Amino acid sequence: MAGLTLGAVDARAQAQNEEIVLGGSIPLTGVFAFAGVGIHAGIQDYLKIVNDAGGIKGRKIKYVAEDTGYKVDASVAAFNKITGQNKVSLYYGDSTGFAKTINPELERKGTMIMAGASFASELNDPKKFPLQFLPGPDYTEMFGILMRHIAKEKPGASIAFVYSDTEFGRDPIAPGEKLATELGLKVVEKIVTPPGSVDVSTEVLKLRRARPDYTIFHGYVLAPIPEFIQQAKQMGMQSRFMGTFWSMDNSMVEKMGEAADGFMGVMPYRYYYDKEGTAPMLDKIRQMRPEYQSTAYMQGFVTAMLMTEAVKRTLDASKELTGANLKASLNTIKDFDTGGIFGVPISIPGNSVPVGRIYRFDAKQKQMLPASDWIQLGK
Amino acid sequence: MDWLYLTEVALAGLGAGALYALTGVAFVLIYKATRVVNLAIGEILMLGGYVFFGLVAGAGLSIWAAIPLTILAGAALGVLVERTLIRPMLGESPISVFMVTIGLGSILAGIVELAWGADPLRLPEFIPNTPIFLGEAYVAPKVAYGAIIAALLIAGAVVALRFSRGGVALRATARDQGAAYSMGIDVGRVFSLSWMAACATAAGAGVIVGAIGGISPTMGIFGLSVLVVVIVGGLDSVAGALVGGLLIGLVEALAGSFLGGEYKLLATFSLLILILMIRPYGIFGTHEIERL
Repeated sequence: MAGLTLGAVDARAQAQNEEIVLGGSIPLTGVFAFAGVGIHAGIQDYLKIVNDAGGIKGRKIKYVAEDTGYKVDASVAAFNKITGQNKVSLYYGDSTGFAKTINPELERKGTMIMAGASFASELNDPKKFPLQFLPGPDYTEMFGILMRHIAKEKPGASIAFVYSDTEFGRDPIAPGEKLATELGLKVVEKIVTPPGSVDVSTEVLKLRRARPDYTIFHGYVLAPIPEFIQQAKQMGMQSRFMGTFWSMDNSMVEKMGEAADGFMGVMPYRYYYDKEGTAPMLDKIRQMRPEYQSTAYMQGFVTAMLMTEAVKRTLDASKELTGANLKASLNTIKDFDTGGIFGVPISIPGNSVPVGRIYRFDAKQKQMLPASDWIQLGK
Repeated sequence: MDWLYLTEVALAGLGAGALYALTGVAFVLIYKATRVVNLAIGEILMLGGYVFFGLVAGAGLSIWAAIPLTILAGAALGVLVERTLIRPMLGESPISVFMVTIGLGSILAGIVELAWGADPLRLPEFIPNTPIFLGEAYVAPKVAYGAIIAALLIAGAVVALRFSRGGVALRATARDQGAAYSMGIDVGRVFSLSWMAACATAAGAGVIVGAIGGISPTMGIFGLSVLVVVIVGGLDSVAGALVGGLLIGLVEALAGSFLGGEYKLLATFSLLILILMIRPYGIFGTHEIERL
């Protein structure tokens, strides 16, 4: 009996010292590698900060990641390998496809919460995806933030959507159209480009016919946005060009060359070089890495931060680290200060953080600069 | 019917088609001489784009020095690949050689990622950027100049094939390897020559394609669209690559603007199936082509 009790105490003590594992299916190669490399570094840096400060209640966080090449089957294989070899409480997934594929398994295991590189609107449903969350606004919410800004700047404006023919690209199009009508804006053209298309001349011709006041790109990282804008400007189009999160990294926009000037878009996080107000976490990042870090880095960094915050709150409440408990703790996050990564205090009542700001590229300073206040949907 | 719009769309389609045709020629040169379907051509094209980028942005060379050097680098790569990877595979089944080229594609993509990273990049602007108007119809300058350069390169390839010693040897080898050999043609050298010319062409195409759409380690996908072009045109016909390229470019442009972007690939592949049903060897292909 005494042995048994001792054994139980031992087990608990062991559990208390056990490392907490953050697993990751990370696209370090392939089409999304530009983001994967940043995310990877961001997660590592935040965990280093936490671990150097003694971990969470004395427990260190271990990061176990595998490269997926941005392929769903490879992501699933990485998930199975990592969760098979470690007791994983937190997981970072690389795509919408993976998030949807792994969801039943995530629920069956019930041992972890997951976030990732996808801001798919579909995932923003706590009933269907109870153990997942998005570390920012979903793509439809990004469209919402952009269109609110447009409606304020030019009521009744006409808009065109240009998007890639991928799950990522198609995501916010139908709800975006609905939202535009609600805001009194007109969607005059929807142009879809096949993935990997090089030449977009015919699409630009189509855009010129529609003559939109604003053009929103979605589902791209860089190409074919620059060529699109360049040709449109050559044809004398006056449209304003906008993008969503993954096409908003400063180094990417800079690569657009002439086309970059005036390019706008929505960003939930502050840029690496943003010195406005107090931002202890941004200071820390600049200290750890003196060279520019991408918005993907910020995304990885803040995801790790929100995940560890959920762990901390669960352990503080002396609860077991299960998926349900972690998610419940995550949802208690209210007016939370991310140390300046998000520009305003954030809350996560559901699966997303519907906050963002419009930035515009300034060709002289070669930087995305704020063009609006922080916009919080639902407020 | 808006004729101006239709003209503009058709011109844009033909412009894109010229790039398909140029890359198609690279496919054809190798297939014609060696009967190898080189699936790595897209990656060789990508490498061309990166080498150009490296020479201009990294080594600080002028654009006019970088273009011939890139083409030379492509040629050197072609010889290297032929001698080290393809020659030892002589006599093996076509599928094995096919797989070697797929592997080669992955290796090249990996090398580029290691050397230049995974971020998409933009090539320095070197194609004139003043808008071109044919009458009232707008043509995107990069596409127009790209098409002109492609046309010149293709013309060069056709002339070389027709009149140069190497070209004649290549055609003779393509017609009948045994006979060519017994007539004293060094068939091995012809193989090297065809790889050299094809990879040089692909590297040149990479510079143009990269100038239009930017470069990234995944731009090799472009090679796959071109595979459709050469299958439609006929795997062993330069004229086929030309007609196939223009046709596919035009069909894509028309489908994209009148049906919607999601129909581009549908239209292209429907055309492919249709052509294969009517002429299984492609529009200009030789009848005896053995399909894999």
